[in-house]
Amino acid sequence: MIELTNITVRFGGIKPIDQLTATLKAPVAGLIGPNGAGKTTLLNVLSGFVKPEEGSVLVSGVPLLSLSPLNRVKAGLRRSFQTEQVVEDMSARDNLYAIADHVLPAAERTQSVETALSFVRLTAVADVMGARLNLFQRRLVELGKCLVGKPKLILLDEPAAGLTDEEGAVLKDLVLAIPQAFGAQVLVIDHDVELIRAMCSETMVLDYGRLLVVGPTAEVLENESVRRAYLGEI
Amino acid sequence: MNAEAVPMTQPQHSMSDTIRRPTVAFPLLLIVLTMAIFSVAVAFLSNAFWLSACTSAVALSLSVTGLAVLYGQLGLVSLCQFALVGVGGWVALRIGHAYHPPFELSMLAGGVVAALVGLVFGIPALRLRGLYLALVTLMLAGTFQTIISAWGFPDGGPGFLGRADGAGRAMLARPSMATGATAYFLYVCAMATLGFVVMQWHKLAKPGRAWALIRKGETVAVASGVNVLTYKAWAFALSGFFAGIAGALLAGNVGQLDGRAFSAFESLNLFALTIVGGSYNWFGALIAGLLLRAVPALLTDLGIDGYVTIGIFGVALFHALATAPTGIAGQISALIARVGRLFSGREAA
Repeated sequence: MIELTNITVRFGGIKPIDQLTATLKAPVAGLIGPNGAGKTTLLNVLSGFVKPEEGSVLVSGVPLLSLSPLNRVKAGLRRSFQTEQVVEDMSARDNLYAIADHVLPAAERTQSVETALSFVRLTAVADVMGARLNLFQRRLVELGKCLVGKPKLILLDEPAAGLTDEEGAVLKDLVLAIPQAFGAQVLVIDHDVELIRAMCSETMVLDYGRLLVVGPTAEVLENESVRRAYLGEI
Repeated sequence: MNAEAVPMTQPQHSMSDTIRRPTVAFPLLLIVLTMAIFSVAVAFLSNAFWLSACTSAVALSLSVTGLAVLYGQLGLVSLCQFALVGVGGWVALRIGHAYHPPFELSMLAGGVVAALVGLVFGIPALRLRGLYLALVTLMLAGTFQTIISAWGFPDGGPGFLGRADGAGRAMLARPSMATGATAYFLYVCAMATLGFVVMQWHKLAKPGRAWALIRKGETVAVASGVNVLTYKAWAFALSGFFAGIAGALLAGNVGQLDGRAFSAFESLNLFALTIVGGSYNWFGALIAGLLLRAVPALLTDLGIDGYVTIGIFGVALFHALATAPTGIAGQISALIARVGRLFSGREAA
């Protein structure tokens, strides 16, 4: 469970997040909002790359803001990036080992990496170099990295960007299976409202850094202010 | 959709004894084997002139392997590597002349001090990249050049600087097991092999994966739990250490060093040849070392001024940057892989 209380981020005179208070309980939760709404800034607050001016964040009751970015990773926070960050001259397997090296004791790394590879269906191409993987496989490597080493909270920043509908559907099934298989909560940021609708049972909508609405996804997407602010309907 | 078609819900893989990480032993054994063939071939085929040139080339390849880690693994441009070679040579000579320990101790001292200096030289890399880091490190190399010009290299005299002041230069004794030219060449090859193996292990293991993530982006590395400061510092220290060892081996080759040989330009030259030789394959360092010492020796042998190499290397650098960023070693490696696929019948049309 993610509990955000009174989060405010200030960049000079701009507040990309302003007095944000919300609680996300769903195993797979969504975060949407128009460009400049503060979605990625919130992701950076959660992962420790942006320090809020005020506020607190609890993840499963653990205060997050007092931890350094590295300690958040060790505590089980994982994130993917809008543009996939697979290392081209390392194999898919080594891309996963690159995180296992730092979050797990040596004896547990192989099992964790192989489990994650199998889950994201990349065992057969585990020894293929990153440069030779297609975009979908690279997206799966990114997802696999998030599953290494007892993750508690996984932040996925537009995980389906650039994928076909068929690939997006497979990714959706994988993401939906994560909470049960790995015991981690997943927060998905994506512009694809249909993907959010299919994946997330709870969704938070930001607008100009403020909370517009949070709740069950079906209700949120029918909300009049959401349709006006985000979906462009009048 | 191109992912492996496997039914999905729960993690399907159960750990078994059959799962093993791809071994790093084979690439390391390959280095030992290649270096053994190379060293024996050169030792038997070379005359005294070429043996000396090849000894210097192999010693310098150790400093290139450090530079290749910084550039090839971390994407950092360091233009002070030859200064670190000088630091290693300087310390080895100073220790050797003052205390007359076994050569290995002088060499180790040179490596350790160069590693510490390399660490200091690497501090700008914590905040800078690209052109700015290149400029700062080049200026550090210039600073070292100035210091060396003012102080000179110790040559066996008394006092801290150990200057002989015209009373005859003392020579640094070679290791007791390798006093002859051929034996010393084989000794240098053994040291270089050890260095290549250590560096290759780093590339294939945890440090190499961390460096690759840092090269990808520091945010990406931190998000994967990599302590960027530690791994960058380790790379600079390691690079400095092998540069220092190279300096000590050079000192052992001729028994003394000339401070004028460690100008900032040499650092530029070394970096350029690291790219030409290939910074992504271990033997790129050996190729760069040979280019740096063997090509001028060849031209000298042919009666051509060795400085012509500056122009040749300039063209080679342009060619590498424009068409072959993996360098000569990368091209050789690709050719071997292609031939291997042809022989195994897996070559795609």
